[in-house]
Amino acid sequence: MTEVLIYDASMIKVDRYYDKNLVDLVAESVSKLNSIKPDAIILANAYSETTVNQVLLASKISNMLGFSGFTSRIENGDASGGAAIQTAYYMIKSGLVKSILLIGVEKMGDFPTSYLNEITAENLDEKFGYREGLTLQPFAALQMKQYMKTYGVNYDYFTQWPLVMHKYGSENPYAYLKFQVDKKTVEQSQIISDPLRLFDTSPRADGATAVLLTSDEFKPEVKVKIEGVSSSISEFSTLSMPAVKQAYSTFREYKADFMEIHDSYSINAALILEEMGLEKGKSLNMLDSIQVNYSGGLKSRGYPGGATGVYQLAEAFMQLAGTFPGKRAQGEKGLVISTDDLGTSAYVIGLRRC
Amino acid sequence: MKVFPAQIWRNKESLYSLIAGKCNKCENLFFPYREVCNKCGSTSISKVKLSGRGTLISYTMSYQNRPGFEKTTPEYIGLIRLDEGIEIVAPLTDVTGEIKDNSRVEAVIRRLKADSSNGLIEYGIKFRLVEDENR
Ligand SMILES: [Zn+2]
Repeated sequence: MTEVLIYDASMIKVDRYYDKNLVDLVAESVSKLNSIKPDAIILANAYSETTVNQVLLASKISNMLGFSGFTSRIENGDASGGAAIQTAYYMIKSGLVKSILLIGVEKMGDFPTSYLNEITAENLDEKFGYREGLTLQPFAALQMKQYMKTYGVNYDYFTQWPLVMHKYGSENPYAYLKFQVDKKTVEQSQIISDPLRLFDTSPRADGATAVLLTSDEFKPEVKVKIEGVSSSISEFSTLSMPAVKQAYSTFREYKADFMEIHDSYSINAALILEEMGLEKGKSLNMLDSIQVNYSGGLKSRGYPGGATGVYQLAEAFMQLAGTFPGKRAQGEKGLVISTDDLGTSAYVIGLRRC
Repeated sequence: MKVFPAQIWRNKESLYSLIAGKCNKCENLFFPYREVCNKCGSTSISKVKLSGRGTLISYTMSYQNRPGFEKTTPEYIGLIRLDEGIEIVAPLTDVTGEIKDNSRVEAVIRRLKADSSNGLIEYGIKFRLVEDENR
């Protein structure tokens, strides 16, 4: 059976690049990749129609790279990265394709908050939520309130996540908000949708990352393979993430040593960790005992929309290859959990160094 | 132009009158109305007009807005359990004073956004608190 290996990965710092468009960002990321000519190019990107007024993006990027074979863009909101990884994994696993250049790119740094909200609100149902003018943040705020009520915790509980993420992110040169914060900064930050504050949300910015996936016919320097990919979808729910639970169920026995999860909000981090088996209402008290988001997560590394999942995969690969420039994780098995903003679409990817 | 008539027109049942779908095969009730049941896949679906009454499970004051919605920001957003059992997230309106736990709410039509001061107007449902339901 064909194995799916990660040959190399690269990324640029998540940041605001006012002088660069999506294609420029990809060029910069790919230029740092130890590459071979791939059989296909798969692009993860969620919002290019709205952010740069561009479609046909996979073709344009492939053309720039001098590639004329199979190319396609995968869009699944902020879970686009996870969806693209699963697509590429299936393609190589099938044996029909031997190598795929997986690219994640997004441009969100050009806009004021109001317009960014307009873009991300496209995640909501067009028949009601989107037309009603809703944004995503109140959904997370409502989850927080229900969580606080159900488990008897106060706002203090949630401050643990940004504190730890900024500590990790301060060591990661690719992180957007590469600074540490104290509790006072978190608890006095701007209210976004009460009780959700600025530091409970993740900063939206630009990013580009590339991962080269190959079959085991190739012999990379370090052998990191994708053990499997699993996914699921569900409706929005206030105290659980059924999609994450379902997607993770096939990895329950996997016993990953470290993981990168999609913490669009602190509450999402808690709900994801709890769907993975940590005690409900207590997961954020246990951050010292698990290796999670050494990149700094969306909170500190930054949140480059649909490129996020590919960033996570690149980070997990660099951890296993021993090349991650920030805080190093111990162990041979990593897990990537890529979701959309509210956790209704989830992809779980298991990686192992062999 | 921010308001496009066709987009509003085709969504009039969910935006103006809370029309839900009820599966004739498995009884699954869902909002907004769609022509396929997402539980059993049946395409035999009836339209059900929801009462528009429900209980406010939770709420938040959101300071976030989108272009065209500046006038109604900040705004209370509620997590509402409609009497038919469906949970929805929707804006609250006409809130004066304190909101009590498990307040009763009812749907009303309100202006959502407009193209300009004399342009097209988009309407939709918001929920207001009901003091005395038998009034
Ligand atoms: Zn049904």
